[in-house]
Amino acid sequence: MLLRASSSALGEDADLRGAVGDPASGVPHGDLLVAYAEAANRDPAAARALDAEMIAAVGEAGLVDAAVTVAVFNGLVRSADGIGIPLDEVMFRATGDARAALGIDDFAGAGNSQAG
Amino acid sequence: MPWFAPDSFPRPVDRPILDAFDAVWDGLGRPGTWWTAAERLGIVDATRRAEPRGIGVEAIDLTTLDPAPAGGALSPLVHEVVYRVAVDAGRITADWAATAVDLLGPGPYTELVALVVQTVPVDRLCALLGRGLAPLPPPQPGDPTRQVPEGMGEGGAFVPWLVDGWDGPNVARALSYVPADNARRLQVVITMYSGGSRFDEMVWEHRALSRPQIELVAARTSAVNECFY
Repeated sequence: MLLRASSSALGEDADLRGAVGDPASGVPHGDLLVAYAEAANRDPAAARALDAEMIAAVGEAGLVDAAVTVAVFNGLVRSADGIGIPLDEVMFRATGDARAALGIDDFAGAGNSQAG
Repeated sequence: MPWFAPDSFPRPVDRPILDAFDAVWDGLGRPGTWWTAAERLGIVDATRRAEPRGIGVEAIDLTTLDPAPAGGALSPLVHEVVYRVAVDAGRITADWAATAVDLLGPGPYTELVALVVQTVPVDRLCALLGRGLAPLPPPQPGDPTRQVPEGMGEGGAFVPWLVDGWDGPNVARALSYVPADNARRLQVVITMYSGGSRFDEMVWEHRALSRPQIELVAARTSAVNECFY
């Protein structure tokens, strides 16, 4: 929801399928950012192999921003799954269509985070 | 003591992030609410050493594990809970969590999760930027306070959390059973993600990436980890 809303605020048209690996996200440099995020989650050394390409596209500060985002969300996902944080009611209602379309309701953690 | 000096990183990292990291590291070495400093550092060390198991390896039944510490180290039970939260959190079920909370107690379980989720972002950023992992602080003497904060109650999560007067997102109260660790964890989140009051603003100018770019990276990270929230 935040991807779509923030994209609209900039006059862009983000495709939420980018979140589940579709290369056509509609976000500037989205393909590279998704590739970086995937590598950074699975193997930090592999992610560093993308540093030069990232710097050419979004600058060194942009590279650090991407790394910071992957890092902090690695904590947030463990908080959510470890504590079983229920999705906030407003978010649950606002994201129903998108969750179903993207298959997010089928994620292993979905059963722990239904709205509460 | 500054554990994360700016010049220790090969690329520039915002000072508020490094200050939040220093606060986390300072806290790791102090007695917590439910664990001693040595136990807290043992949990952090176990987090760092946790490696994914092979495909098809069956999950270990927590009730079969010894809950007693072995020779000053963490118990096999605590090791297994740390492993699951650190590297296999996406497969935590309500039943598994209920067993873990029952065996450890809601306070120790919540503090264990808090330690994992403070350690992982710090170590992950260091690894991504090509900086070595920070050494752990020395353990400070003292006993855990074992104080349950006021206003706790059931709210649909695996553990009790702040319910009295709460008017905010669930993620902010997730670890409120251990308020000192939760405060340090939230400072990490604020400095690395939203910048505090900017969360509701859809256009961010305080980051090098645009907000849609950041949300795309965040969403992909959540999806790779199969996190519904």
